[in-house]
Amino acid sequence: MAARLTRLTQVLLILLGVLSARLIQLQVIQGARYARLSDRNRIRKLVLPAPRGRILDRNGVLLADTRPSFTVSVVPTELTDSALPLLAHMLGVPESTLQAQLAPVAMFASPVNVKRDVTIEEVARIEELSFRLPGVDVRVDPVRRYPTANRYCHVLGHIGEVSEDELKHDTSLRRLDFVGRAGIEAQYESMLRGRDGSEYAEVDARGQEIGTLREKHPEPEMPGRNLVMTIDDRIQRLACQLLAPYDRAAVVGMETRTGAIVCLVSKPDFDPNIFMTPIDAETWDSLTSNPSKPFFNRALTSGYPPGSTMKPVVALGALRQGALYRDTRFQTCLGSYKYGNRTFKCNAAHGSLDLVGAIAQSCNTYFYQAGLRLGLDSLTAYAREVGLGRLTGIDMPGERPGNIPSREWLDSRYGKNKWGAGSVLNFAIGQGEVTTTPLQMAVLYGAIASGGRAVRPYLVARVDSAGLAIRTTVPDFRQLPMRRQDIEVVKLGLERVVEWGTGTGARVKEIDIAGKTGTAQNPPRLDHAWFVGYAPADKPEVVFAVLVENAGHGGTVSAPIAGQLIRAYFSPPESDSIPASQPADTSAAPQHE
Amino acid sequence: MKRFDPGLIAATLLLASFGLLAIYSSGGSYFFFRQLIFLAAAIGAAAAAVFIPRRILYGLAEPIYGLAVLMLIAVLIAGTGPGSHRWFVLGPVYVQPSEFAKLTTVLLLAKHLSYKRTIGLSFRDLALPAAIAAVPSLLVMVEPDLSTSLIFAAMLAAMLYWQGMRPLHILLLFSPALSFAAGFSLYTWIPFFVVMGIILLFRAGVRNALVGLGVSAGFGLLSPVVLASLKGYQRARIMSFFAPWFDPHGISWNAIQSQIAIGSGRLIGKGLFQGSQKRLGFLPNRHTDFVFSSLGEELGLVGCLVLLGLFFWLVRRILLAARQSGDSTGSLLCVGFAAIIGYQMFVNIGMLLGMLPITGITLPFVSYGGSSLLLNFLMVGLVLNVISRPE
Repeated sequence: MAARLTRLTQVLLILLGVLSARLIQLQVIQGARYARLSDRNRIRKLVLPAPRGRILDRNGVLLADTRPSFTVSVVPTELTDSALPLLAHMLGVPESTLQAQLAPVAMFASPVNVKRDVTIEEVARIEELSFRLPGVDVRVDPVRRYPTANRYCHVLGHIGEVSEDELKHDTSLRRLDFVGRAGIEAQYESMLRGRDGSEYAEVDARGQEIGTLREKHPEPEMPGRNLVMTIDDRIQRLACQLLAPYDRAAVVGMETRTGAIVCLVSKPDFDPNIFMTPIDAETWDSLTSNPSKPFFNRALTSGYPPGSTMKPVVALGALRQGALYRDTRFQTCLGSYKYGNRTFKCNAAHGSLDLVGAIAQSCNTYFYQAGLRLGLDSLTAYAREVGLGRLTGIDMPGERPGNIPSREWLDSRYGKNKWGAGSVLNFAIGQGEVTTTPLQMAVLYGAIASGGRAVRPYLVARVDSAGLAIRTTVPDFRQLPMRRQDIEVVKLGLERVVEWGTGTGARVKEIDIAGKTGTAQNPPRLDHAWFVGYAPADKPEVVFAVLVENAGHGGTVSAPIAGQLIRAYFSPPESDSIPASQPADTSAAPQHE
Repeated sequence: MKRFDPGLIAATLLLASFGLLAIYSSGGSYFFFRQLIFLAAAIGAAAAAVFIPRRILYGLAEPIYGLAVLMLIAVLIAGTGPGSHRWFVLGPVYVQPSEFAKLTTVLLLAKHLSYKRTIGLSFRDLALPAAIAAVPSLLVMVEPDLSTSLIFAAMLAAMLYWQGMRPLHILLLFSPALSFAAGFSLYTWIPFFVVMGIILLFRAGVRNALVGLGVSAGFGLLSPVVLASLKGYQRARIMSFFAPWFDPHGISWNAIQSQIAIGSGRLIGKGLFQGSQKRLGFLPNRHTDFVFSSLGEELGLVGCLVLLGLFFWLVRRILLAARQSGDSTGSLLCVGFAAIIGYQMFVNIGMLLGMLPITGITLPFVSYGGSSLLLNFLMVGLVLNVISRPE
């Protein structure tokens, strides 16, 4: 036992010896140097902010980048009581605001950002009075810029300052940092953000940097990854132009074979650049009080009755169940359909039609009867199977599934069996409680166009780091329960729609388009105008879903928009029609428009 | 009373006085007076511990160990702490169950190890003691508080050694865990593996060496696999706890500040209450985990060496008590306590000197904090009990 006591004492002595040796090294050998660092001078940890990744369209057009901005920072432990009111005055913010901002970090000895985007005049004044502002510093920080202004507000989303809560949970965030708040900016936050670097500087008593600290190597910042989107800016711009006359509308364009989104527009829009600087109350109020809700992405978070664009689903479901054949003719359409003691209207007196004719003419009478034959349960089940009432899985936050009013749903809403048999009739023509999003309709029609293969839509084609792709999106498919021969019948109907049916407005000279109009009732206001179509009809490549709220008939309002977009998609980009993308501004001066 | 040890009492009280001075200097009167109250309570508890009949204490070893484990589970569910679950908040008092768990684990280990005459490297000998130490250790690791969870390994190693296990066997026993921890980076794992290999080849024979190295390699490979299976933010969090030397941002700042504070104290310090680093608010938690930095700044090398000397004196007295005790359980108890105090002293000061990663661990008797002070004094009280009262 004595030997073990000796051994343990030796271990203890070795440990104490190691600590003593290190103490002698720090306090005697390097003591003078540390005394200097501690006494007259100080050291400071400086953050080297990482620029957020850039976002480009499929052809390399810049959609989002960063610009330099002057940011005022304060070392809280060095700021004197007299400097606080002076700084508040110079920055034009109330002293109490500044105090509140600094209170939680009062013990920090490294700079904390207090105001971004100060003007060059403000910078000059701060520098002039720097002797009265110890601990105050101006640095150049990268700040997000959207050179395309409103055009991508819903696709890219926007970024916003971190909240107190986020600061607590993510230690890599700093005060006044921005994080993605919606759209691609939020979805790909971890890719875009990058990693801040740091550097340790020695500063003298007046707070001036006199060199970097050799104990600690600088850690270089790692810029965020760049995203290459599937969006084609040419098409997106045209879509924005075409929607300009309308208050509330949405367009989704997608490649039928891959799911790559070609354009995605929601109206009304807003300028995401406003979030980069403190927003003035007026702008903010006008945005938030706008009844059309500009922040709302109608392309994938809305729910609209699909109107007659629902009919191909009814047709495919009925064909698959054997409830219907291509040449089935129902009770002749005299402009309305009587069911029980209620009369359900049609848009015209179509006479006797087969399925193809009924699709082409969008005959309600025909589809009321088709829906009745199929039955509510089969209809809702089928609608779900082909993707309605479910998320498409697009790489964007906030998507909503829409609603397919099943028996259970109707029971819960109206009470058990308290709803009328008219529900199935309404459902069959896409009216009433059934709601879908333009994105869902684009995916659904894309699936019809490509023989029942539903794609998962996506917006980001590639994630790049230093010019190298580190992630490429692989298209993702799901086979829908649609029979090939049934699809052929429905496609024929969709071709007829544009040839001589309700969708002739979509016709363009060079390309055969197939599609379906929809006019969703929205009493007491005007109807919502739908058109969903793909092209070329015989070998589909692209599908567009167009929805304009309260604009009237799908055939007259939405179909021409889709036609224009499809034509643009297939026409070679003319050099004069593409404005040069704005190059990234690399000058040090911040932009003030 | 058979014997008493004024040296042990003096070392304890001197260390606590050092603590009070440093807490007053860096934390102000508020923390000073609170610590004074804690100290009074802790001395009271120590006095009571001297007179507890040890037979009763040993009899209670299992239930209070169980209670400590339950508290460790409860704190994971309902506890608070900076990015972790370490404390219960009971009104104005923060209770840290891991402090209580240290004491109860030593007690139960001492009780079980004392039954054995010799301990070899066999499952029969080691399964129970290893499990007794591993349960609280793993629970504390989840909090997460890696440096505290390793205390259980240190006490187990010391107590096994005291009970006659060969150092080589102890190394083999711990090598899987060491390998796993080192495995978070090749830079730490390769040197570990090489040293391990050399020791085993010379001391354990080829066959045993290969088995030992194989098991170690397996556990070492496990950590990158575990790491790779985590999400980015989880990985960052794990890395910052298990391998803080990779985190260039959060941790190193404090380490540099602490080194500057200590270094600038030079030979005799800036004088009590005169530390400038500390006054400027450079040091975080400066009255708790960083209390030694203010002492180093204000009292210099001389003060630091006096403090280290006091620790040596204290631990040495406890080890002597272990040898003097006729009661083998009591003897093991003392060794376990010596391991706790020695480990915490080395890790706390080592991290402030920039030699070890910065983690939350207190300097026994010196750091501010009620749970920690109470535990430390209870340990001293029990040591006095062991040497003064024959069982």
